Amino acid sequence: MIHKLALRNLLRNKRRSCLTSVIIVFAFSMMVLFMGLSDGGHKAMIDIGVRMGLGHIIVQHKSFSDDPSLQHLIVQPNQLIQQIRQNKPELTAVSRLRVDALIQAGRHGVALTISGVEPAKEVKMSAIADQRAITKGKTLAEFPQSKTFHHLDGIVIGETLANNLEVRVGDTVTITAKPASGADLSRAAFVVAGIFKTGLHELDTFWAEVPLHTLQALLGVPDQVSQISLYSLETPESLAHTTTQLQTSFNHVNISPWQTAAPELYSAVTLDAAGMYLLMLIVYVVVAVGILNTVLMSTFKRKKEFTMMIALGSRPSTVSKIVLLEAVYLSAFSLTLGLALGLWGHHHFATQGLDFKEVFGTAMEAGGVLLPDKFYSILDASKLSLSVLFVFLLTLVVTLIPAIRAGHRSPLAATQDA
Amino acid sequence: MITLNKINKVFADKHQSFHCLKEIDLTVKQGEFTVIAGPSGSGKSTLLNIIGMLDQPTNGTYQFDNKEVAKFSNNKLADIRREKIGFVFQAYNLMPVLTALENTEMIMEFSGIDKKQRKQRAIETLEAVGLGEFKDRFPAQLSGGQQQRVAVARAIAAKPLLVIADEPTANLDSRATESLLDLMVSLNQKQGITFIFSSHDPRVIERAHRVIHLQDGKVIRDEQLQHISSTHSPAAIPS
Repeated sequence: MIHKLALRNLLRNKRRSCLTSVIIVFAFSMMVLFMGLSDGGHKAMIDIGVRMGLGHIIVQHKSFSDDPSLQHLIVQPNQLIQQIRQNKPELTAVSRLRVDALIQAGRHGVALTISGVEPAKEVKMSAIADQRAITKGKTLAEFPQSKTFHHLDGIVIGETLANNLEVRVGDTVTITAKPASGADLSRAAFVVAGIFKTGLHELDTFWAEVPLHTLQALLGVPDQVSQISLYSLETPESLAHTTTQLQTSFNHVNISPWQTAAPELYSAVTLDAAGMYLLMLIVYVVVAVGILNTVLMSTFKRKKEFTMMIALGSRPSTVSKIVLLEAVYLSAFSLTLGLALGLWGHHHFATQGLDFKEVFGTAMEAGGVLLPDKFYSILDASKLSLSVLFVFLLTLVVTLIPAIRAGHRSPLAATQDA
Repeated sequence: MITLNKINKVFADKHQSFHCLKEIDLTVKQGEFTVIAGPSGSGKSTLLNIIGMLDQPTNGTYQFDNKEVAKFSNNKLADIRREKIGFVFQAYNLMPVLTALENTEMIMEFSGIDKKQRKQRAIETLEAVGLGEFKDRFPAQLSGGQQQRVAVARAIAAKPLLVIADEPTANLDSRATESLLDLMVSLNQKQGITFIFSSHDPRVIERAHRVIHLQDGKVIRDEQLQHISSTHSPAAIPS
């Protein structure tokens, strides 16, 4: 009976119930949609970020973060990689040696960061100089190392840098860097194997990659690297757990997640997530106010009915239950519909993707990362379930006081109204 | 069944007080058909509210079924109202979203009577008040007289000891009034339900066994007009 009363009371004022329902459906479906797009965007940002020479987990010498000099390199990185992979075979490891240097071509010279990489591994994990980023020439992996071009090794450089140096594929450039010994500057010539374009100013203007062994030889640091980048397919939560586990097992090196290694990217993701949480808060307020308004109006107009029920012998809790049930039915219906609509939108963007360039006319950069033109909606089931549960509980909470008040009216009012 | 002893009711606020009932002593026996009569403002409704446990007296004692009402909690009072008292209000007070049948069933459901039994009893009660064929209509689809009959059906379906009716004929025309009174008298005679009315309608008064006249909050006359039939029994209520 109380279920029948609750449902029929909702249908009694169809316009009010429908309006409240429409507001909740719209707000909640938008929230689900934006939640998916936001998480999809974050994943794209992180994926791109970690592929721009970073890594999900970064292993460095204990003192490297305080003093990133050639005195603080990881010695025998392959041995360490082997030990790490014994612990975590699912991780892919890439060694890198980075140093500030000067690149010269003819009368032009530019200070930049040189990254010594293992071309065969790097091409699979990095987005800087992989096949898609190379606009002219070849990747280092494709370049026939020390076989042609007068036994010179290849170098890939950014497009802006190439323009500034006025060099093309096949031209020779000179790299000058200070070796680890602190002796006179070391120089080496390279042939421009390829020119890449990431869309990021820092990389396209001040970044170059050469084979790891060549840079180690130039700097006098054989079998030493600045960092070992570990790539994983794990979720952020399990990644944090893996990082902690690795740090415990290998405490002679510093093992940090990408969040520590790329604070700008982490800030951008966090800020964007905060925006999403703000949107969720707005949705929660809209739902709470919508339900509260309906319940208040409904209970206000039905004072006489409640007092009559109490006069006839209904317990206060029975009347309160009826009011609570009305809110539960209204929110359950609206949330289900909102969820269905939101999931439909999510499915579209999860399969077709959102073409950012098409919508906004330009690619977007966030946290030093150029977002891909298209990214895909991703929904975290637990986060979504929690949101649904939270909104549902919120409905009960905002209805509780009007419901209790409805149940505690004086039965005398039933006769006074008469 | 009902014993009121030195009942007083004072309505007071910061500025003034109004002594509505003064030293009321009253006993009502099982099976009586009693009318509390008096002009407006004489305290009829207030007395009825106290008897129906909708209101508390300022002082004095009220015993219902030999139990002191003042000692009951709000939930206990609600339980007694639901189990033992039926109410018929002047303005019918039916639930607009429930059909005549559902309105009649409502109190029984709150009493925990099983679905089959309460439905059968509600149908029988509606048939007893002459509304069998209107059971699926909503209050808005019924006339005033029919709505009041549904209210009577709702009041008696749960087999109460007592039915309290506050000016039940006030909003009814002559024909509906006569019809309703016939019904109530019949229920009193056949099923032994105790009725207490408040009314100043002479058509109601002339059907009563007993008329208690109130004026300015005092009982000024207690007339015993007819004897109560000894053959009445609440067990005769449809089951």
